[in-house]
Amino acid sequence: MMTSLPIEFLKWFQTMKVSWSEIMVYRLNFLLMVIGPMLVLFFIKYNVWSSIYQGTPGQEINGYTFAEMISYHLWFMIVSMLSMAYSGEDLAEDIRLGRISSYLIYPFNFWQFNTARFFSIECIQIGIALITLGISFLGFGHILGKLDLPAFCAGFGISILVGFFWFTIQYTTGLLAFWFEETWTFRVLFQIIAHFLSGAIIPLDFYPSWLVDILEYSPFPTLAYIPVKIFLGSYEEPLKAAFILLFWIVVSTCIAAWVWKRGLKLYTAAGM
Amino acid sequence: MIGQMWNRYRQRFIHYFQVYSGFFATSFIAAMSFRIHFVLLIVMDLFFYVSTLGSVHIIYNHVSMIGPWNREELLFFVSVMLTIQQCHMAFVSENFWLFSSTIRTGALDFVLLKPISALFSSFFRHIRPGSFINILITWITVIYYGIEVHLGLLAWVLLPFCILSGLILASSLDMVIASSMFWMLEGTGINFLRIELQELSRWPDFIYGSITSRILTIVVPVLLIGSAPVRFLFDHSDWLPLFGLGVAIIVVWVVLHFVWNAGLNIYESASS
Amino acid sequence: MINATGLTKRFKSYKKPPGFFASLKSLFYRQYETNYAVNSFDVHIEPGEIVGLLGPNGAGKTTLMKMFTGIITPSDGQLKVLGYIPAKRDRLFRKQIALVMGQKSQLWWDIPAMDSFQLLQRYYEIDNTAFQSRVAELAHLLGAEKFLDVHVRKLSLGERMKVELMACLLHEPKLIFLDEPTIGLDLIAQKNIRDFLKKYHEKTQTTIVLTSHYMADVEALCSRIILILDGKQGFDGPIGEFETLLGHEKNVSFLFSEQQDPINSLWKEYDAQWNKEHTEVDLRLPEEKLREVCAYILQHYPVIEFSTEKMPIERVMKTVMSNPKLIQ
Repeated sequence: MMTSLPIEFLKWFQTMKVSWSEIMVYRLNFLLMVIGPMLVLFFIKYNVWSSIYQGTPGQEINGYTFAEMISYHLWFMIVSMLSMAYSGEDLAEDIRLGRISSYLIYPFNFWQFNTARFFSIECIQIGIALITLGISFLGFGHILGKLDLPAFCAGFGISILVGFFWFTIQYTTGLLAFWFEETWTFRVLFQIIAHFLSGAIIPLDFYPSWLVDILEYSPFPTLAYIPVKIFLGSYEEPLKAAFILLFWIVVSTCIAAWVWKRGLKLYTAAGM
Repeated sequence: MIGQMWNRYRQRFIHYFQVYSGFFATSFIAAMSFRIHFVLLIVMDLFFYVSTLGSVHIIYNHVSMIGPWNREELLFFVSVMLTIQQCHMAFVSENFWLFSSTIRTGALDFVLLKPISALFSSFFRHIRPGSFINILITWITVIYYGIEVHLGLLAWVLLPFCILSGLILASSLDMVIASSMFWMLEGTGINFLRIELQELSRWPDFIYGSITSRILTIVVPVLLIGSAPVRFLFDHSDWLPLFGLGVAIIVVWVVLHFVWNAGLNIYESASS
Repeated sequence: MINATGLTKRFKSYKKPPGFFASLKSLFYRQYETNYAVNSFDVHIEPGEIVGLLGPNGAGKTTLMKMFTGIITPSDGQLKVLGYIPAKRDRLFRKQIALVMGQKSQLWWDIPAMDSFQLLQRYYEIDNTAFQSRVAELAHLLGAEKFLDVHVRKLSLGERMKVELMACLLHEPKLIFLDEPTIGLDLIAQKNIRDFLKKYHEKTQTTIVLTSHYMADVEALCSRIILILDGKQGFDGPIGEFETLLGHEKNVSFLFSEQQDPINSLWKEYDAQWNKEHTEVDLRLPEEKLREVCAYILQHYPVIEFSTEKMPIERVMKTVMSNPKLIQ
């Protein structure tokens, strides 16, 4: 055990290093695909809400002042940086092109490989999120107010869990490549729905109350609205949110394991 | 002399038309062999409309105006943009996603050999038949909100042409951006740049600050795509942006001509 | 048909050592270097010829073909193909040429070959009756009638190659470029393709430029060989001349039923190569002495088997590739 632990760790670390080099080679891609959309989305939201609040200067809309609305979206950008990094597209391509055969032989399996990749991207994302946060405090300090450290830590932890959740979703839908030629439609479909229902576009307080009541029973609010509120220090039960997320992570991991087993049977049987 | 030239252009037109109908047929045949993907694409787009129109609705439940526009006016604008985008998806979008791999794998070699414009067969080759069904749906919303905002007779007549010119500008800009893949092999990322610009154009120009809106109107004229025609449809004395749209199309085509030819010149053609 | 003088193609590339920090460094600083894929190449090809472009991997064969077809633009030199400058990609020029690459497919993966053909028919503006009879004729010659309606992604490599060939011949090109048309195929499939090309050329006298790693292809089809080494022209001439490039000697090997004494002066004279057990020998015999020496050995030694080499071209290629100085 004493000797196997460092070796196991080395495997993970080496995989992460390879993945970092890959990102470095395709750095422009990474920037345009992962960071760009988040910045653009924030930029648009900033402009839209500025324009909306111009009609009602100094007023609150549904309990939000302009500053509160902008800090909501700024914190959402941080949450999305911490949570939306890994994409299942490469994984699906590995399956479609039959490259997973090598993972069936390596003493480091497909799930481990992809989880290590997720970790490596997550590390970079944490760096980017912190830099963005630093810049935001320089630029929007008057809007963001003071940083509340316990709230920040809680929010940070929850956002990482959200990242795990997205990873399991991406991983599971990527595995569907065993059966389908294209799997990105599954992912984008889920993303569109989650984006709309998680409060990523507009805070959930604006939604009709019957819809919010229904959403209570889904994981969606925990993907954006709740983490943002935790960062803002106005959500009382971060532990409850963590449990909800953990529950869904466990559920989707089990589904992923089941899908993998079925898919592999098909793969080995058909030789693809 | 003129008769000869006329004849030559007529023949050329018939040639291209026949090739295009061939593109249509092959795209349809290919789409039919991936039925689930076909259906999911339609469903995905539908969810996207619901979330886009829904978000605007939700905002207007709490404010009465955004900039100079009320609910129906903005929803009309959004519907027009969705129609332009849907046409874009049906007719060209697929090609941009495939273009990077066409260059990377050297499949462009065969495109270059064909006795037909390589630009034409690169960017019009693939058509997404499923999206045609959705164009119908976006047209219904355009007409519905068009009635709500009391469009005049002239506006109704010009509506299809406005949408068409927006579509032409959007697609032409995308072709210029896609041509940069000759220099940067990171094609997927460049596609995200396109999407980010699309996101920016999905909101009316007045929400942006004066510098941003000038840059996005003159330098990268994405705001002309939807804002110019819709502003003209609402108020016929506001014709300058629409005129700008026409000029922008011509300028973008001139730029495209140079960028495309320069790109072909440096094309290295992957060896295998 | 093809006239090239001083044809040159340069590529730029940059190096990146492995590792994270090297990547980080390459973010800011890249060391570029220029490589010559083809370096001042001269060639003239006449109508009706079948020319084999030979050379090791990376010698510049494919680059040359891509310049001939107008896919890539030469960095330097003059090039005219069918009277056109290929890089200008004139419409009429493109209607008269065809390119087949063994490692790349021009057919659309997700649809049956026949649907691809119909699209090509429109590209090349072939009228319907001509198209029908052309497809039927080619399918018959290649024995491909059965799988024209199958999705291309489901075809075997050999079947796919037949369909690829059909696709490129539909418009009756005057000039055909074949880049490794038999690569990866089994021996029978290779022979089928080769036989087809031979028949097709006999019938139409189309000019063909061919690259291949299989000397059997070259031997069976080409009347003339152009050798490329490191982007430069190594040899250009008839195939017979190439075979005798290293002298008029033939390789003959004998297998004996018992061990022989290698010290014998007979062996020494002809550069003998023995196996370990001294039961098998390779000799290099001058052409004029071939009959005499063979007859002598057959009479005086316990020979169970003997053979002269089938493809001297293969030996010449091997020797030249491992020692390019021989022909410079």
